[in-house]
Amino acid sequence: MPKLEDKPRVILEEFRVKNAPDDYGMADEKWNFKKFVKKFRIVIVRMDNSEMEFDLIGIQPAFANAFRRLMLSEVPSMAIEKVMIKNNTSIIQDEVLAHRLGLIPLKADPKLFEYRAEDSTDGTEFDTLEFTLKIKCSANKSQPKDSFRAEDLYENHSVYSSSIKWHPIGNQASVHKETEVGPVHSDILISKMRPGHELDLHLVAVKGIGKDHAKFSPVATASYRLLPEITLTREVTGGEATLLQSCFSPCVIGIDSDGRAFVRDARYDSCSRNVYRYDSIKDAVVLSRIRNHFIFNVESVGAMLPSVIFVEAVKILRDKCKSLLDDLNNF
Amino acid sequence: MNAPPTFESFLLYDGEKKVQKEEDTKVTNAAIFTVNKEDHTLGNMIRHQLLKDPKVLFAGYKVPHPLEHKFVLRIQTTSDYTPQEAFMNAITDLTSELSLFEERFKEAIKEKKDGLD
Repeated sequence: MPKLEDKPRVILEEFRVKNAPDDYGMADEKWNFKKFVKKFRIVIVRMDNSEMEFDLIGIQPAFANAFRRLMLSEVPSMAIEKVMIKNNTSIIQDEVLAHRLGLIPLKADPKLFEYRAEDSTDGTEFDTLEFTLKIKCSANKSQPKDSFRAEDLYENHSVYSSSIKWHPIGNQASVHKETEVGPVHSDILISKMRPGHELDLHLVAVKGIGKDHAKFSPVATASYRLLPEITLTREVTGGEATLLQSCFSPCVIGIDSDGRAFVRDARYDSCSRNVYRYDSIKDAVVLSRIRNHFIFNVESVGAMLPSVIFVEAVKILRDKCKSLLDDLNNF
Repeated sequence: MNAPPTFESFLLYDGEKKVQKEEDTKVTNAAIFTVNKEDHTLGNMIRHQLLKDPKVLFAGYKVPHPLEHKFVLRIQTTSDYTPQEAFMNAITDLTSELSLFEERFKEAIKEKKDGLD
């Protein structure tokens, strides 16, 4: 069996999960900052405007989980909170409509806004965004004779998020641009209407956090998993090699020109225990996960870059720690 | 409607303290801290950090009830140390770790961006 370096592992056996024999559990180690600085690493694997994958290596699970929780429920974002309904003759009920509007992600950068005070009824330009949605469905006068398609018969029969118009209050027009505050997507279907149906709404968006309501969460998903590792303990060739390959996710096991199986990249393996179904090859592999190597996946809803969301989460946690420390000093 | 206000989970009421300390009457060098309007995010992290301190004999936390937005942290230390010191040291360590986090993360982002150009 090849020598395993000193990484803390959990070994996935056929019927149980087992700690590696040299692993006494991470909670028992004495902590010191220097050691942490030396071991801790961040690697960014994939990054674009909406999605990011990065590795945090050498941290505690408590930390990883704290960041996940913070990104989901404590990093702020803007969302529609109040809907004043002046007229709604469509078949969608007022409260359902208001709920749908609340869930539309807005592009506005929450860092440029403040929280609205609990008791304030009128928002200011620093904490509120106002929109209107005014649309009426009518029969299409110039419809082609023999068509029965809704888009030929009616005008405005589908209301999309692109019909939401921004109304700057105070000095907002000079600070923000219309394209930077409105809905992230212009093609979100809000309601379907028929001639005579009408919507006349006034929408108020405020800053909030995911703990209050999921619509304020800046991420679509934020999750982490442990890095999988597959070790082959003996040579696997021929038909056994193809069988082995079929037991794992695509591209995880490769077969070289001699027909010998090798582990190409275990990172994207689903860690299913399929191999253990085959007696002929189940002795050839050790499945494990690295216990302090966390692969994070952050998918932004659109208001902030995923990298910014993570940095915000770190800042929020640090502020929390600082305020707690201040309180403790006052005892 | 008798639904509790939505801000209840993260805003302190008037006069409500963030942290309360209660000495354990039966065991020496032990204290119970109640931290209001915080949850597993902070609770688990602080407990974890406390367990790394060799002078801490016991550290555990619980969220007493899912509808009460607080956690309770019990700390017992050796005789030359107090629970409050342990608590404060743990938080100081956490803050330094978090500063490192931010710094390293920004470095990594920069590296990635430079690599793409």
